[in-house]
Amino acid sequence: MMILSKKIIPNVICTFCGATCDDLQVTVENGKVLNVRSGCSTSLSKFVNYNVERYLTPLVKKDGELHETSYEDAIARSAEILANAKYPILYGWSSTSNEASRAGLELAEWVGGVIDNTTTVCHGPTLLGVHDIGEVSASLGEIRHRADLVIYWGSNPVHSHPHHVMRYSALSKGRFRLSRKDRTMVVVDVRKTDTAKLADQFIQIEPNGDYELMCALRMAVRGDDLEQDVIAGVPAERIEELADLMISCQFGVIFFGVGLTMTQGRHRNIDVALSLVRDLNARTKFLIMPMRGWYNVAGANQVSAWVTGYPYAVDLSQGYPRYNPGDTTAVDVLARGDCDAALVVASDPVSNFPVEVSRHLAKIPVITIDPHPSATTLISEVVFPTTIVGIETGGGIYRMDGVAIVTKPVVSPPPGLHSDVEILQDILTHVKKLKMGQ
Amino acid sequence: MKEITLTLKRELHLPVEAGEISPDKFREKSIGEIEGIKIWEGNRQVALADIFKVSENSGGSGDEVTIRVVGNAAKVRKIGYRTSSGSIIVDGNAGMYVGEEMSGGSILVTGDTGSWLGTKMKGGQIEVKGNAGDYVGAGYRGTTLGMKGGTILVHGNAGQEVGCWMTDGTIRIKGNTGLMPGIHMHKGTIWIEGDCEGRAGGQMRGGKVIICGKTPTVLPSFAFEEIREKVKIGEEKIQGPFYVFSGDMNENGKGKLSVNAPNNPQLKWCEKYVEA
Amino acid sequence: MTELLIRNGFVYDPLNGIEGEKADISIRDGKVAESVGAGATVIDATGMMVMPGGVDIHSHIAGSKVNAGRILRPEDHEKDVERHTPITRAGTGHSIPSTFTTGYRYARLGYTTVFEPATPLLKTRHTHDELNDTPIVDKGCFPLFGNDWHSMEYLQQGRIEECAAYIAWMLRATKGYAIKLVNPGGVEAWKRGRYLVGLEDRVPNFDITPREIVRGICKANQLLHLPHTIHVHTNDLAKIGNYQTTIDTMDSVRGLGGDNKPVIHITHVQFTGRTGSAWHNVGSGAPEIADYVNKHDHVTVDMGQIVFMDTTTMTADGGFQYMLYQLSGNKWMNFDVEVETGAGIVPYRYRRNNYVNAIQWGIGLELALLIKDPWRVYMTTDHPNGGDFTKYPKIISWLMSRKAREKSIARINSIARNKLDLPDIDREYTFSEIAVVTRAGTAKALGLKQKGHLGVGADADVAVYNLNPTKIDPSRDYRLVRKALKKAAFTVKDGRIVVKNGEIVETPMGRTYWVDSQVSEGLMGKVESEMRRTFTEYYTVQMDNYAMDDSELGRSSRVSVKAEV
Repeated sequence: MMILSKKIIPNVICTFCGATCDDLQVTVENGKVLNVRSGCSTSLSKFVNYNVERYLTPLVKKDGELHETSYEDAIARSAEILANAKYPILYGWSSTSNEASRAGLELAEWVGGVIDNTTTVCHGPTLLGVHDIGEVSASLGEIRHRADLVIYWGSNPVHSHPHHVMRYSALSKGRFRLSRKDRTMVVVDVRKTDTAKLADQFIQIEPNGDYELMCALRMAVRGDDLEQDVIAGVPAERIEELADLMISCQFGVIFFGVGLTMTQGRHRNIDVALSLVRDLNARTKFLIMPMRGWYNVAGANQVSAWVTGYPYAVDLSQGYPRYNPGDTTAVDVLARGDCDAALVVASDPVSNFPVEVSRHLAKIPVITIDPHPSATTLISEVVFPTTIVGIETGGGIYRMDGVAIVTKPVVSPPPGLHSDVEILQDILTHVKKLKMGQ
Repeated sequence: MKEITLTLKRELHLPVEAGEISPDKFREKSIGEIEGIKIWEGNRQVALADIFKVSENSGGSGDEVTIRVVGNAAKVRKIGYRTSSGSIIVDGNAGMYVGEEMSGGSILVTGDTGSWLGTKMKGGQIEVKGNAGDYVGAGYRGTTLGMKGGTILVHGNAGQEVGCWMTDGTIRIKGNTGLMPGIHMHKGTIWIEGDCEGRAGGQMRGGKVIICGKTPTVLPSFAFEEIREKVKIGEEKIQGPFYVFSGDMNENGKGKLSVNAPNNPQLKWCEKYVEA
Repeated sequence: MTELLIRNGFVYDPLNGIEGEKADISIRDGKVAESVGAGATVIDATGMMVMPGGVDIHSHIAGSKVNAGRILRPEDHEKDVERHTPITRAGTGHSIPSTFTTGYRYARLGYTTVFEPATPLLKTRHTHDELNDTPIVDKGCFPLFGNDWHSMEYLQQGRIEECAAYIAWMLRATKGYAIKLVNPGGVEAWKRGRYLVGLEDRVPNFDITPREIVRGICKANQLLHLPHTIHVHTNDLAKIGNYQTTIDTMDSVRGLGGDNKPVIHITHVQFTGRTGSAWHNVGSGAPEIADYVNKHDHVTVDMGQIVFMDTTTMTADGGFQYMLYQLSGNKWMNFDVEVETGAGIVPYRYRRNNYVNAIQWGIGLELALLIKDPWRVYMTTDHPNGGDFTKYPKIISWLMSRKAREKSIARINSIARNKLDLPDIDREYTFSEIAVVTRAGTAKALGLKQKGHLGVGADADVAVYNLNPTKIDPSRDYRLVRKALKKAAFTVKDGRIVVKNGEIVETPMGRTYWVDSQVSEGLMGKVESEMRRTFTEYYTVQMDNYAMDDSELGRSSRVSVKAEV
């Protein structure tokens, strides 16, 4: 389907960050994206530059170098690698559709491997905290309509989720909160970020002091006295003021990011944050929400959970789902050098993981499905080019608050490219034949 | 008494899950049967003899079993799973989940172990001469009930979250620990002879954590109680003096955190709360 | 042309008046037929019981709160697993099974149709994503109304017809089957941290009462000619003594229907069937509720029976779930959904020696035993709230056997035992009545004319159980009944054998039923243009991205009805 004339496609869903804005207007002419309106500058860049430096044919490694090959050959090679592997990992999933995750989960089951997504380096700690405490949350519209206190903790949405504040929180217009002056915005961070500059209050916290500060806030919310004068670099009176603000609001929310999940304490930082919000609900309405980074990491979690019972780090090597982050997470499997093959979909672990972890990837056969070259594709045995979700193919995704929407293509892909769903299904067909023949 | 030795035949590259290595499983079996026990190597099931050479030293009376594992078993998981009696000696390193769901008997590891040592333990004894990983004596993800009984002794260091959600038993770490020993603890004792990275007893509801070495801070939700000369663990008295705190107040906790005073001058601030 | 003959079984087909006679069931091309040829595959059902496949009217198996429950509780799944086979997918179970496991386990019980009873409109796409991965069974879902701003505003303005058109639009957009009301008005109040009391309390900011909401939406349901009645989880679940609210709710719509057909279904009545003013004096309101149901035929109910086990509670009733967290101290998830509804999840263990749990256990059974007409009371556990659905055979044995009940009664909290009427109730359900409360009655209540019976033209969904009703006395041999019902000898779905001796042999994709109520163009046009404006103000998703397309369902089965407006 070639779209030739110029047209403006409304209500396009952006596939950049977890805010998943769905009101983009994309101008397309002669099958090319010309412009994007209503999106942030990052979405404009993604839509306009998606076609820069792409793979257009499948590649396999021969004599240490990647050479072009046929799709069928690449499928056969990949199926063989995965079917013969004794502990493969299948990683990525957060920057592609739910359908791809579904196919990946079935493939992982057939090859008896570990399937994990980028939650592992981002909000894995959030899920671990939820397992122990639960979570008091809502869909983003609830915040837009009702929140009179918005706190961003260890999160800098001006850069990570550029339209978040405007669409959903302090700068948005809600049914019961008509303007900015109906809300108070607080930022808690280790330095005064660009988001902090928008806030009514900024609290500077010592790096790695989040657990202590949350702990002190819980004390203050309970009405207990703080014995220490300064906690995590914040004076006790300031902590008590923040606690008062939280108790006296009508509807508060804490949005948190990697400043909380990836600093010292990790999932226990989230554990105590979830506990604080739970405690606050005895006094007023209060919510907490993780700022999911990738546009479909929430989808990768949801699909994994309904298919296996677990949201990431699922080990299917013994024929049924097993889960234990720290053991079955991709980072840990690689760090121990336990896996003997890898399938990477829409991700670049060689760049994103610590070197001592990704080093092992260079020692094992890796199959990558990605539109663009990356450090991971360069060390791979097999590389599949693929179409881009939300631009060239459609697919279901989940917003950071768990709302499901369906992306649709705005342009056609280059000829001959397959979607990652098709690639995964074709690999699976071959794998089934190999396994059933054994 | 029957002593069975399992000697690793080759270097392991894949994770091996061998919960079958337990006196309970070996007791009624002949050597041939033991050799044929199926264990997991990656996603394949293999015979125990594929990985271990099995030999037996019989002699002595009684039908108790001792298993000796020889070689670098760092990739072998779940050694001693559900052991109820008998003993296991690992001459070298052991992998994760040593002594999982153990209820009796004993396990000795001369080297290091992986994480989740003694997870879900109910009874028995585990001793590790080297270091242990994270989550010593912890429960499974999402349960609020961790270790229920038994004793764990680690001569070296341990990682994060020793005794997470502990409901009873004793854990003694002679070396240092990472963050948050005793997190969410209900009952039981954790004795750290070395240093603790911090946040000891976070969110605990009961139980005892004793730190003889250094720890940088005490959480704001712990109230200073008193200075004690000695702290008692069972029959043993540990020489202090100790700053004793109770908490975690955010959980209405009645746990006790005792921190060695002379080793922690940075905690001197609490002395202003000593009743005259 | 595929033909199947189920030969010589004892057939229970109460809708067609067959109550245990020996008969053959002929099947061709997925439907029950008059007869089949000599080349048909034969199932020899000699000495076995043959029933239509089970139809579960209320079971939380798919969607955002179910999945949130799965994520909350890795410890729930750890020990209960399904292994990968060349035909079946791996999975996990216990109280919140993964989707493939759900389909297989229902099929093994001889169930062939299941409805997810509560899904937020905004998140029903998620529900369908999960139903698409639930194999074998036919399915559908009930989207939530009654706390949604659009409904409340239309009703408050007295615009019933517009409300009906809006509901029709939403059912089409979300591919829903029926209207679900949970704590009408009460969830909007909960989002402001408040609890409503009774049916006359006004919803903050919306100036409408629960009574007005229930009546209004009931009328809308009538106007739309939806195949099922409104399906209601009443107000006051968090209140200790709440049976009166249940009766008041049933009474609030009396007279809205004609011709003796039900106009309201009250779900999991056990949970809103309590008397008392404090937890220590809680009692059973089942006799009062049963009395009302016996005297008024405009009502159907389902049990919501509890089983003594560690399970997971999950409802759209966020306020109730918060209260349960406060009582139990267990972990707690809450998820409010903008403009529409909420959800809460709390793990909970029902204990025999806990006074309140023992009373709850008694209430469910008393309801089913005191309500005389089995066509208006259905067996459910409100899975997983009361217990998981694999416990159905146990509950069936309690209904069929006084001896089975006595055994359990002897072990419950003794003060509760003395307070309940249950020990004195003699009644024992027959196999025919069981067939009604688990399939024929539920199919009828749902308006699924081709389900729940084995007449010619019905969908060939059949369960064959290894139980000889002429040799077994279910009152005495209740253990044999349990055993046989746990593992169907055969389950047939659309004429294909999917279960043999409790093992899955085939995994076809079931249908997803949804209702398209055709409202007049003029009215729909007017309502749609009003919605275009309010959508942008209310939601954080564009209206055009909100509505689902048919193609998003694995196997769409549209039920078309003509509305009166």
